Amino acid sequence: MDIGLLAQYIMNGLMVGMMYALVAVGFTLFFGVLDVIQFAHGDVLTVGAFAALMTFAGLHAAGLGSGSILVIAMVVVSVFTMAGLGMVIGRYMVLPLRTAPALNTLLITLMLGTVLRESVRLFYPQGANPKPFPALLPASSISIGNFNLRLDNAMMLAAGVLVIAGVELLLNRTKLGLAIRAVAQDEETARTMGINFRAIVLIAFAVGSALAAIAGVMNGFYYNEINFGMGLYLGVVGFAAAIIGGLGSIYGAILGGFLFAALQTIGTVALPFGSAYKDVFAFAVVIILMAWRPTGLVREKISERV
Amino acid sequence: MQPGIIAQVLVTVYFIAFLAVEKQPLIIGMLGLAVIATLAAYWMGWLALVNRSFADREDVLVPSAIVAALAVAAFFHDNHFVLLLIVTILLYTLATLGLNIQFGYAGVLNFAAASFFGIGAYTSAVLNARTNLPHLLVLLLGGVLAALIGSLLLLPVLRTRGHYAALVTIAFALLLKAFLEVNDVLGGPQGLQVEGMKIGGWSFNDNIEIGHIEVSFYMNYFVLSLALLAGAFVLSRRLERSWIGLNLDALRLDETAASCFGLDVARWKITAFTLGNFLIGIAGALFGMVGGFVAPNNYTFADSLILVSILLLGGIGNPWGLVVATGIVVVLPEKLQTLQEYRFLLYSLMVIAVLLFRPEGLLPRPARNYFPGWRP
Amino acid sequence: MYRTLKAATALLAAVWFLAVVPAEAKDKVKVGFIGPLTGGVSANGLGGRNSADLAVRLRNADLKAKYQYELVVLDDECKPNVAVQAATKMAADREIVAAATHYCSSTAIATVDVYHKFGLPVVVWGAVLPDITYRNRYPEIHRVNGTMINQNDTNAELLTKLGYKTFAVIHDTTDYGKGHNEYFSAALAKRGGKVLGTFGVGADQQDFTAELTQIKALNPEVIYFGGLTPIGVRIRAQMDKLGIKAVFDGTSGIVSDAYIQGLGPLAEGTLAFREGAPTDKLPGGKFFMGKYAAQKYDNAPEAYGAFAYAAMELILDSIEKVGPDRRKVIDDMARVKDRDSIIGKITFDDHGQNTVSLITKYVVQDGKWVVWEDSEYAAGKRKLPRQK
Repeated sequence: MDIGLLAQYIMNGLMVGMMYALVAVGFTLFFGVLDVIQFAHGDVLTVGAFAALMTFAGLHAAGLGSGSILVIAMVVVSVFTMAGLGMVIGRYMVLPLRTAPALNTLLITLMLGTVLRESVRLFYPQGANPKPFPALLPASSISIGNFNLRLDNAMMLAAGVLVIAGVELLLNRTKLGLAIRAVAQDEETARTMGINFRAIVLIAFAVGSALAAIAGVMNGFYYNEINFGMGLYLGVVGFAAAIIGGLGSIYGAILGGFLFAALQTIGTVALPFGSAYKDVFAFAVVIILMAWRPTGLVREKISERV
Repeated sequence: MQPGIIAQVLVTVYFIAFLAVEKQPLIIGMLGLAVIATLAAYWMGWLALVNRSFADREDVLVPSAIVAALAVAAFFHDNHFVLLLIVTILLYTLATLGLNIQFGYAGVLNFAAASFFGIGAYTSAVLNARTNLPHLLVLLLGGVLAALIGSLLLLPVLRTRGHYAALVTIAFALLLKAFLEVNDVLGGPQGLQVEGMKIGGWSFNDNIEIGHIEVSFYMNYFVLSLALLAGAFVLSRRLERSWIGLNLDALRLDETAASCFGLDVARWKITAFTLGNFLIGIAGALFGMVGGFVAPNNYTFADSLILVSILLLGGIGNPWGLVVATGIVVVLPEKLQTLQEYRFLLYSLMVIAVLLFRPEGLLPRPARNYFPGWRP
Repeated sequence: MYRTLKAATALLAAVWFLAVVPAEAKDKVKVGFIGPLTGGVSANGLGGRNSADLAVRLRNADLKAKYQYELVVLDDECKPNVAVQAATKMAADREIVAAATHYCSSTAIATVDVYHKFGLPVVVWGAVLPDITYRNRYPEIHRVNGTMINQNDTNAELLTKLGYKTFAVIHDTTDYGKGHNEYFSAALAKRGGKVLGTFGVGADQQDFTAELTQIKALNPEVIYFGGLTPIGVRIRAQMDKLGIKAVFDGTSGIVSDAYIQGLGPLAEGTLAFREGAPTDKLPGGKFFMGKYAAQKYDNAPEAYGAFAYAAMELILDSIEKVGPDRRKVIDDMARVKDRDSIIGKITFDDHGQNTVSLITKYVVQDGKWVVWEDSEYAAGKRKLPRQK
């Protein structure tokens, strides 16, 4: 296999893996803080992408801004609105069901995801059609043999790394991060120590949803297109990635995201009729992994009250 | 017994009226009537009476339900579309009964119910086209194949719990859809046509004529579906009441305690999962023949979610609730044309409302009755 | 107890009353329309629906018409399973006499058996797969637009004449895409073109980097695409991202405004082929466009609107002649020969297929689909990618 071609495949895998990782980190954050799976996460990503599109349409129609200003505006609006949406979901859907069996939260968020997805499809003008996403990032590229490195892909990859590093810093070096980790470890003790439980939970939801928004905008720029169903697939893959990596561990989530992308790439390259079967291959490996390591690659430490 | 019979008669009459009415304002009016009636029944405590009655006197109420179903079918004997709706309700209920055994009794999460439904359907498609096996046997094989493929998932399902277990079946649902879409042998995204059912020389796809009365060919499928559903229903209830059901309940309520008491957790999970898939597969095989067409898009993760939401709406663990919930979920979008587009949105909102305010569902599962007729 | 008895009696009375009251006045006749009203190709579906609606409106306004027509519209979402449900619903409704059906070939081929089972006469208005009319000899199925055989022939002809020798084929895995692949590859082989690689992709696939990376390695001069607008847009955009320089050659599936809107300047130089003349050059084209504009619909008729109009007109004419009876309409449609319509004279062969021999070649120039002969590419003023 030509080295340039291989490099191209790897680059594609990295881009996709970055997006999966961002979604997976969100899942892990929610789980860590409240022991819940927020299954509407993928669809929050979709809403974030559409929010960015609306921002673009609005600003563009008003003739304001250009290139980089538009990009910044789209990201900012998307991040803040999704943070808000995340907080609303946490406050009204997830917190009230804290005492109910964990399954109910999973189910309610699954249904909420459907509500979000259908709302976009029904209420956004012509929502059922795929929508072109503006190509605002510089499109120049460098060709090294068969390998075509585009500047916008490189920028997005770098941005993704920065965002993840930022979340790392937030969680490990700030007081807020300390509070989040405390709540994740033991809710009762954290409250006894004076941490405002509700506020921390809502902030965690906000951060996770903001990550989803960034992933959504990235997705839009990468494919130059968004559609109402994009979140469902990304949500399941992000969930799978978070689980493979072990719920509750940020590093595990990132690992899981890139691992899933790697599985898809290997499936594409190594198998004959590769690209068609890549999903089948990746999900089959996930199921086998779950059979081998039921609590993920980075083992979750659980204790159960009997 | 009386509350049960009265409830059945009322529901049957209402159902016939609802299906017969065409004009949208009338339909909305009837819906409003139903909602008010249900709320009134709940507040007056009649709903609990009906629930109890169904739990106690099933020996009378199941045959009377069958009679009621036959009455509804007789009323619409020449209406293709309504009969098709009724057959759909019956087969979805059958599938949900299977899901109920897995989820409602044993607590085994299965988010791939539609995939097993699809396996049954594809079995009937392929076997009817390529072989000459009698179609009743094909139905059985559909169930068997669904159970067999489900057993591939047994190891991960047994070893995982909670969210991890959810992921296993979700991943399987996506895997199967992707597989069916890329696999040309099984028709790919274009799907496969399914031959209609034939038993002996009687073709199920021909209209029946009795004297001057023309009966839609869907009546054939209706009779078979009703028979299957009645059988599965009785099986399910017997199972629930037996020591097997007791084991499954113990397993669902507290796995650790159950295993402390010496219950073989793995064995019962396997039983529940396999039996559930078997029923779902049979329902799928027959439904494939009714519709005459199978395609991967019919059996997606979203469709599995619909089956799960039927289970939640009706009341987890209560087969009677399932019948009602399936009726609502299947008939409502067809009747409320204006709401056709919004149906997924509405289902999800309904389920969210149920989960927030009445997690037990419409007809919650009554407490286990150890001695028939016992009153506290 | 008595309360419930009274309620039950009242309900029974209501049911009895409703069953006895007759449904409609005698004059009304229902006709049907099925098309993709939502989803990636909805522009074509809505255009077709509006055109069929136009035909019904004009007929209802005509004082000489014997019946009052009502159009029942169903959405097939361009998905075979939804189409089968919609078709079953429409065919099972005894009041619907005939229907104009389907833009997507994948849906049309899936529903052929349904219409035959229920005996509903249908006229296809947009699907081009030959098998729809030729696989079986069902008297219920007819089609006013042409099949894909001619378009792929013309396609191969033009490209080989322009000097292109190496091709890569991408097609969707529905029967539509597979059909295009089959006919194009055959047509190309006859003229000496070489297909370097064939790739099947899912109808709603998002990411084509895997296929396109492999194509990049093969280095063809032309990428032929057998599929519909949504994935056409994605493939063309991702071709650019990977730096692939080749002609993007499509079929009637991408001849739509949505394709150009989706790509902007990237659409420049895309080739496509469609049977039938451009709408304004059809015999009844100007009449149709005028009446369509007067109704102020939200969507343009798109490429196949005129065919949908002609299909519905044919149905209405048939019902006027023999009455609202499905079997009589089927018999009448079997005898359709040289019937006048806005798309020219319609004649159904023994499989219900109309012959549309004219193929229009299109190229995207400055954000519009321009007829090839009129374009600057044909005149030599502009060059397609890698044109010698």
